[in-house]
Amino acid sequence: MLRRRRRLAAAVVGITALIVAALVLGGSHGTPRAPAADQDPAALLPDPVAPAFKPTLRPADFTTPASRWAPVVRPAEATRVPGGRAPIARLATSTPEGTANMVLLQPGVRVVHGRMWVRVRLPVLPNNTTGWVRRDVLGGYGEVRTRLVVDRRLLTARLLRDGREIFRARVGVGAPRWPTPSGDFYIRNKLTTFDDAFYGPVAFGTSARSAVLTDWPAGGFIGIHGTNRPDLLPGRVSHGCIRMANDDILRLARLMPVGTPVTIH
Amino acid sequence: MSSKPEIADALTIAEIDRDGALLEAVANLYGSSRADFLRGAAFASAAVALGLALPSEASASPKQDVGILQFDLAFEYLQSTFYTQAVRDRTVARMKPEKQRWAHVLGTHELAHVAILKDVLGKNATKKPFFNFHGVTESEEAFTKTAVAMEDLTVALLAGQAPRFSNPALTSAVFSLLTTEARHAAWARRLSGARPVAAAFDEPKTLKQVSRVVQSTRFIAARPQTGRRGKPRYTG
Repeated sequence: MLRRRRRLAAAVVGITALIVAALVLGGSHGTPRAPAADQDPAALLPDPVAPAFKPTLRPADFTTPASRWAPVVRPAEATRVPGGRAPIARLATSTPEGTANMVLLQPGVRVVHGRMWVRVRLPVLPNNTTGWVRRDVLGGYGEVRTRLVVDRRLLTARLLRDGREIFRARVGVGAPRWPTPSGDFYIRNKLTTFDDAFYGPVAFGTSARSAVLTDWPAGGFIGIHGTNRPDLLPGRVSHGCIRMANDDILRLARLMPVGTPVTIH
Repeated sequence: MSSKPEIADALTIAEIDRDGALLEAVANLYGSSRADFLRGAAFASAAVALGLALPSEASASPKQDVGILQFDLAFEYLQSTFYTQAVRDRTVARMKPEKQRWAHVLGTHELAHVAILKDVLGKNATKKPFFNFHGVTESEEAFTKTAVAMEDLTVALLAGQAPRFSNPALTSAVFSLLTTEARHAAWARRLSGARPVAAAFDEPKTLKQVSRVVQSTRFIAARPQTGRRGKPRYTG
């Protein structure tokens, strides 16, 4: 008990001595005294600069479904199974129109003998063919959120973006002798500034091919284009192509990117 | 790190070795065993120049501010597309829940950065480049390593550029991106098994240095020509 009291007394004496020493030394060296209430050092510092902008989080759009396409950057063979030997199609790097050849990505990635293979929709006959190609024959992936739906019975074309209709037009489709093929395809290219009123001002090329006009120049690919005979629309009037009024194709050209999947019912 | 070459690495080596390189930042992080895979000369190309045009090194001015922001936007496009593609490739879906959350959060942040930089730049906003990740987003290991490198590189980029703005409000705003990117980098490093903090000091990089690293990846590719002027030969 006595020992504890002595320790306490010693501590009090020590602290008092330190306080006195600090006051004496502070005064003798002229260091500033504690600031007055109206001289808060923090108040002397400038305010932080307000940022010119501040990001705000928005819903992440990578969770919204999208379709992807890829250019063929090296001549390639597509096979029925990943790593297969027998080709079901040969892919060039460019289309007959001179644009980059492309394929539409389908769900499916496999690794065979250390090589990555991806499943793609092919621009070949028979229509609706899918196959596997090596990943390294394709370039980077493009992405679209649109889908074109053509109804041969109702003679309509509807463009959807994120599932919502943003375009609708009456169309002409193939005559009974040259039917427009049904199935799932994609937009392969877009041609403009040509001097041929038959095709109107803009023409899209698709991956669909006529099953009957196989000897047509450039392979008989099905296009979507304008017309110089709007009086025939809607109707079953074409060689397989999908025709629409020139105003409609111009509007569609502003809305539909190359790579858009096309479903023909 | 596995000593056995991973599938996507093999594909990436095949893709990239012909021309040279991948991210030198990954090389720094993972050491010389990856040097052949990662190290290499920088290759400039017209396509890349389109994506990452360098502003002049002149003294600070509003014009230079725009140039730096355009460069930052191109880089944010690169990052946001990188995470988006990994999600689309279902690489993220194959990862453990903690890593999935990390990839989703970072992807969302990078998309927010793109959106705000586009808003700020207005008509001066550059168009999104076309990217080819050469299979890197299709393998978890390659994706994670490249993400670490990319986040580290972003920190170096923003640390180098934030003080260069003529407008202090832009410096302040870019600092807010910088601190976020630094947290991204630490998070990515921790998940990849690396030390969350690389060093006592982060070394800023010049635009030229960052551009060289990005060019070496060849992630920014020429946009495929999908349209042209010419007469159709469709069936009609």
